[in-house]
Amino acid sequence: MNSNKLIIAAAGSGKTTFLINESLKKSANKVLITTYTQANEEEIRKKFIKVNKCIPENIAILTWFSFLLKHGVRPYQGCLFGDDIKGLILVNNQSARYSKEKDIKKHYFTNGRKIYSDKISKFVCICNEKSSGSVVDRLSRIYSHIYIDEAQDLAGYDLELLKLLFKCNSSTLLVGDPRQATYSTNNASKNKKYKKSKIIHFFEDIPNEIEIEIDDTSLAINYRCISDICNLSNKLFPDLQSAKSGNTKTTEHDGVFLVRTQDAEEYLQKFNPVQLQDTKRTEVNCNYKVMNYGESKGLSFKRVLIYPTKPVRDWLKNNHSDLAPTSRAKLYVAITRAEYSVGIVYDFDSNTNIEGVNKYNDEKE
Amino acid sequence: MKVDRIKIINFKCFKGKLNLELNDGLNVLVGDNESGKSTILEAIHLALTGLFNGKYLKYELTQYLFNNEVISEYLTNIENGDMAIPPFILIEVFIKGDDLAHLEGDGNSEKNNACGISLRIAFDEKHQPEYEKLIQSGNIKTLPVEYYDVFWNSFARESITSRSIPIKSALIDSSSHRYQNGSDIYISRIVRDNLEPKEIVEISQAHRTMRDSFMECPTIKAINEKIKLDAKISSKNIELSVELLSKNAWENSLMTYLDEVPFHFVGKGEQCVIKTKLALGHKKSKEANLILLEEPENHLTHSRLNQLINDLKTENQDKQIIVSTHSSFVANKLGLDNLILLNNFKHIQFNDLKPETKIFFEKISGYDTLRLILCNKAILVEGDSDELIVQKAYMKKNNGALPIQNGIDIISVGTSFLRFLEIAEKIEKPVVVLTDNDGDVDALKKKYNNYLGNNKKRYIDICFDETVDGGDLIIGESSFNYNTLEPKILKANNLEKLNTILDVSFKSEDELHKYMKRNKTECALKIFCTTEDINYPDYILSAIE
Repeated sequence: MNSNKLIIAAAGSGKTTFLINESLKKSANKVLITTYTQANEEEIRKKFIKVNKCIPENIAILTWFSFLLKHGVRPYQGCLFGDDIKGLILVNNQSARYSKEKDIKKHYFTNGRKIYSDKISKFVCICNEKSSGSVVDRLSRIYSHIYIDEAQDLAGYDLELLKLLFKCNSSTLLVGDPRQATYSTNNASKNKKYKKSKIIHFFEDIPNEIEIEIDDTSLAINYRCISDICNLSNKLFPDLQSAKSGNTKTTEHDGVFLVRTQDAEEYLQKFNPVQLQDTKRTEVNCNYKVMNYGESKGLSFKRVLIYPTKPVRDWLKNNHSDLAPTSRAKLYVAITRAEYSVGIVYDFDSNTNIEGVNKYNDEKE
Repeated sequence: MKVDRIKIINFKCFKGKLNLELNDGLNVLVGDNESGKSTILEAIHLALTGLFNGKYLKYELTQYLFNNEVISEYLTNIENGDMAIPPFILIEVFIKGDDLAHLEGDGNSEKNNACGISLRIAFDEKHQPEYEKLIQSGNIKTLPVEYYDVFWNSFARESITSRSIPIKSALIDSSSHRYQNGSDIYISRIVRDNLEPKEIVEISQAHRTMRDSFMECPTIKAINEKIKLDAKISSKNIELSVELLSKNAWENSLMTYLDEVPFHFVGKGEQCVIKTKLALGHKKSKEANLILLEEPENHLTHSRLNQLINDLKTENQDKQIIVSTHSSFVANKLGLDNLILLNNFKHIQFNDLKPETKIFFEKISGYDTLRLILCNKAILVEGDSDELIVQKAYMKKNNGALPIQNGIDIISVGTSFLRFLEIAEKIEKPVVVLTDNDGDVDALKKKYNNYLGNNKKRYIDICFDETVDGGDLIIGESSFNYNTLEPKILKANNLEKLNTILDVSFKSEDELHKYMKRNKTECALKIFCTTEDINYPDYILSAIE
């Protein structure tokens, strides 16, 4: 029998390892593991080799776009587009915006016959419809289990395809963290209301005839961050199940600290944290390691020093102040990279008082 | 897992499309020389292995793979400045079986959802700019095959390799393609296809160990020391070793032996039998095996052939086999059910025939069917006596040459003209039916309605005498039939002449009629042997035309 399950996993809860262990249990079946970013696909491969020495024959690992191209587009493209498709072209915005939907060639493809990344899942859905379900049927006969990592990155027609997968004979297992919705596979207007961290509502809104189990407890323990860090990150998403800390070790410098600009150099020298910036334009100390928020996703550091934007500073002061979904997700990612200490560059004064946050060098004022 | 159907377009002798459905078990391809039997085997093997003449086709593309007519049409069009699309070759193998979903899709020439693989040899768009220049220069005398590539995909439009194709094809023919060390490529493939992945790993490990122990051998060590000292020209280390570089080193250096004789030194016939047996013994669970056997009669003695055929029949339970042959013995032994008749690059399967016709041919010896297929032209007659007389008439007209010497076979078919015509029509075999009118031309015309008048087929002629003769001779209760061969011959000649030829002396034509009716074959033989100049009825002469 097929089953569908979404596991909402907290940062640092070991979701990729969980997926790998699940798939290793299925040695008699064919398993597909897919994820949006190439970085994560590589991470999955590396972890497989770590856990199992090699990737077993019955397991296929593909990025979301290669999966769509290989199993969604090519097998039955004949019902929409007979010519040879040369590959995929990544677009950040809506492609060929003024093309008519019926003009398949213009709507979906570049002149060089590459399919636009924002429309590929739409193409797949329509292909499936035109071929009377052959696309999904074929897929479900190849893979008895379909695992999707970083499910929060899916958007637009991806979600329509998910519904089709939920209805087919394969078992689908998704793991993701809506709090880390920093990327989206596309920017299509379809399913706009489920964008980024709101993807959780998509699963809640799924009609009753599709059975899907939502599990927000199995992977709710954050083994990476100590309690203070966990608590701050939970404040960003009060509506979601809060993650508990599974790291009880201590060091000489544990917790969340505001660090004045003038003290940053000293702080860096003393604790050697990785600097995390919003964009490349942020002013940082180039003598120490530095990374963008987005880049750091999936990684783990002992200590970080975050350079916040104005909206982030405002949010720290007042948790009800407005913070855009992407900024919120990025901040969540940045905070949860650290195992023991999070420094935040912030010029505090004696009046500054944020719950659960210490002031570095306060007495030296 | 079986090959359900194959489709061949523009490959070698097949101009346009050949669409051939295969039986799950045995398939016997029967046809004359040059009828495309071997090409079909080659095409299937190519699509399943990527190999052509024992080499990877990718690196061996030539214009001779293409149908000649297709190429000349293309070249003529270019010369005339007409639009000319570079021709392509397509071989599609439709596969049925479980666990094949990954090969499914509509990436086939029929654009339907199907499971299989396609091998296309076609112009590669990459070379469009060069090709344009070439066209403009107007200097194309041959197919610009340097701009072609091989596109080998599943129907899901995913490129594939021979490893990822679940059906392993074993081609057993008289050619021998060898690796550098002399070991036969096909037998190596067959042996390797029989091995499980674990065993392959073990062999290559053992091969490695062999190399290591070779290097450790004191003699070799001493020699290598000596070489090192002698080779002062280079600062680099020079030593003797065993080749391990290539991916399939063990395959290149291991050889198959038969009673301590290297395989390729064994007789051709024995090689054929052994390859077949090895392929029959293939037992891998996840893969199927397709055996392609080319004209096994070529280098086997009758008894060896008999044995091989028995093996094929008894040990093939779950194997799909395609045998090409022009031996009626092989075809008959393997069963008419499995026959696929090839003629003129068209084919006919026994399953295509009307059920009654199929049963009819299954009952009679397969020999006559094959005669019809293998000859160039056929004259169908009713009985032995007609056969002899038509032969005689033919010889007279052709300076004593027997019809068979010119590829014309005279087949006596009894009353089964229509059944033979059904086959002839399907394979477009030129056939003349020579029949008596039996006194009722209308009934005859009705019987052959499908082949006369507006329905006349290009390849089929029906010859009979339009004149109905009559008389008052009565034999027993019924009146004499004046409209069969003998009375017509008598009519074309006269009493005196026939008395001479038949060495009799009847007083009246009626008496001669009675005699000829009673002694049909003997009379025919006498006519055949006579040196007398004899006249033949017009309908016979027109049949010979």
